[in-house]
Amino acid sequence: MMQCKNDRERMLCDISKVSFAVVDLTLYLDTHSCDSQAQDYFNHYVRLLNQMKREYAMKYGPLNLSTADGYSSEWKWANMPLPWEGVC
Amino acid sequence: MNDYPKFEDYRDRFPLAMAYVPWQERPILYENLEEGFCNGTLFPELNKPFTGRRCVK
Repeated sequence: MMQCKNDRERMLCDISKVSFAVVDLTLYLDTHSCDSQAQDYFNHYVRLLNQMKREYAMKYGPLNLSTADGYSSEWKWANMPLPWEGVC
Repeated sequence: MNDYPKFEDYRDRFPLAMAYVPWQERPILYENLEEGFCNGTLFPELNKPFTGRRCVK
């Protein structure tokens, strides 16, 4: 069981799990491109992942550039603490 | 549902002394993503932890 101290870590844990599932499904689909059931799973999890990343970006700041928009007032991408600064 | 090559159908096209990896077909996925994440694979049939001695089927 993964231990998550606060909401931010819990969201990051969930993002890690879903992105892992997306990567593993991608590897499977690379060799089984006509498996429609696997494509359905992939579509579901990739949409879920994008939504979770947007939610995390709104709350704590963008994880990657594709979610760095939406902050008209401030350029959060460069101003938020970096991962190795012990925040996330 | 998926028309993957079956070994039996193509026995004559598999020369001797060659290694073949069985094709993954209609796999089931871990329902619990955390279980898959902690096991390093989304597919229970590919979860083969190293036990230091024998192989896990």
